[in-house]
Amino acid sequence: MADTGTGWLHGYDLCRQGRVKSGTLYPLLMRLEEQGFLEAEWQAPAEPGRPARHAYRLTATGRALARANPPLRLGAAVNDPRGKPA
Amino acid sequence: MRRALAGAIVRLAAVILPAPLRDWGRAMAAELGTIERPGAALAFAFGCLAGAFRQAMSSHLHRPRRLAALCAIGATGLGLAYMIAAGAPLSYLATNAAALAIGLLAVGVLTDAGRLWRIGGGAVGIGIACLILLTSLFGVSADGATRWISAGGILLQPDLFLVPVVALGFARTRDSASLLAVLIAALALALQPDRAMAGALAAGMAALALALPGRKVLVALGAALAAFAATLARADASPAMPFVDQIFYSSFGVHPLAGLAVLAGAALMLVPAIAGYVRDPDHRPAYAVFGAVWLAVILAAALGNYPTPLVGYSGSAILGYLISLLGLPPRPAARGAGRDGAAMQSEPEAQQPDLRASLAGAG
Repeated sequence: MADTGTGWLHGYDLCRQGRVKSGTLYPLLMRLEEQGFLEAEWQAPAEPGRPARHAYRLTATGRALARANPPLRLGAAVNDPRGKPA
Repeated sequence: MRRALAGAIVRLAAVILPAPLRDWGRAMAAELGTIERPGAALAFAFGCLAGAFRQAMSSHLHRPRRLAALCAIGATGLGLAYMIAAGAPLSYLATNAAALAIGLLAVGVLTDAGRLWRIGGGAVGIGIACLILLTSLFGVSADGATRWISAGGILLQPDLFLVPVVALGFARTRDSASLLAVLIAALALALQPDRAMAGALAAGMAALALALPGRKVLVALGAALAAFAATLARADASPAMPFVDQIFYSSFGVHPLAGLAVLAGAALMLVPAIAGYVRDPDHRPAYAVFGAVWLAVILAAALGNYPTPLVGYSGSAILGYLISLLGLPPRPAARGAGRDGAAMQSEPEAQQPDLRASLAGAG
C-alpha cells in the first residue's frame, strides 16, 4: 500500500497483492482508519449497474508510519535480536 | 449456489459488525461483487465473517452483557443449524428463534435489573424463588417430575430461567433476603426434582464460596448441595426428547459439522464468563457464578436427559441464558487506563509511529 503512494486501492486487490485473507485485512484497515493512518472513500462504479466500491490509501502520517516500519527481511531478523518474533 | 451463500455470509458479517463499523460491511459486500470466481468469493466472504466476528467480540468485551447477548445469538444460531441438519420440526425452530427474540427483548426492557435488585433488595429474589416453588407444587407433572408450566400451549420450564437469576442475585448482594431466595429455590428444586438445575445452583454457590467465602455463602452452598443430593436420591425417569436432549452425542450421528456446531455453541455460552473473569477482576464472583451455573447445565445435558441450553423444546434455556446475563455487570469496573496496550500509551509514545502498536488487536 505504501508503494502505491497516493493512489487508491480496493479491498480485494489488497488481499491479492498482500496475500492476506479478508478476515485479516479488514480489521487492519478499520484500525488504521480509526487511528488516522488510512483514508477511505466510496468511488462511483466503473460500469453502470455495479455497486460503488470502497477505496483506500494511506494518509501522510500513514506513509510516515510505513517508512518508519519497513518490511522485515529474513537476514535482518536473524542478525538483529529486536527483529525476532516474540 | 456458492455465490448466493457468499452473499449471505457477507450480509451476516455486516450485521455482526458493531454499529460504527457497519459501513465496512457495505464495503465488503461491494467488493464481493467484483470477484469473478465463486470459490474465491466464498473464501473472501468467510474471511469477512471471521474478521467481523473478531471485531464484534473485541468491541463487546467492554460491555459484558452485550458480549453475552452476542454469544446467545451465536449459540442459538448454531443450535438452529443443528436442528435444521437433524430435520427437527419447524415448530421447534420457530420456538427457539422466538425464545431468542423474547429474551433479547426482555434484556432490552430490563437493562436496569441490577438497580431493581438493589432497590427491592432480596424481595425480588424471594418472589422469583417462590415462582419456582409454585411450579414444583402446582406445575405440570410428567414421568415423576413436576417442573413445567403450560403457557399458551407451550410447556415452559421456569427453573431454567429463574434459578440463574436467583444465584446471580445472591452473588450480587449476599444479604439475608437473597439467601432466603436461594434456600427457597433449593427446596423447590429438591421437590421437583430437577438434578440439572439443582446441580447448577450448587455449582454456582460453590463458585461463589471459592470467590467470596462467608457464612451466608456457605449456608447457601450447603442448602444447594442438600437439594442436589436429594435429586440424586430420587429416580429421574424423564425420557430423552428428540432433537433436544442428549444431542452432544446424537448430533455427530447427524453430521460431524452438526456435532461441531453443538459443541461450539455450548463453548460460546461460556465465553462471557471467561472473558469477564479475565478482564474484570472486580466482578469476578458474578462471572464465576454465571460460568459455573451454565457449565453445570451443559454438563447435565451431556450426562443425562436434560435440555441442552442452546436448543430446547420450549426455548426455556435460551430465555434463561439471556435473562441471567442481567446479573452480569453492565460494564467492567473502571481501573485507570485499562489493559489495552493502545489505551495505556502515554501521549509522547503515541506520537511515535510504531506499526506494531497501531495494529495491536487488529487480529
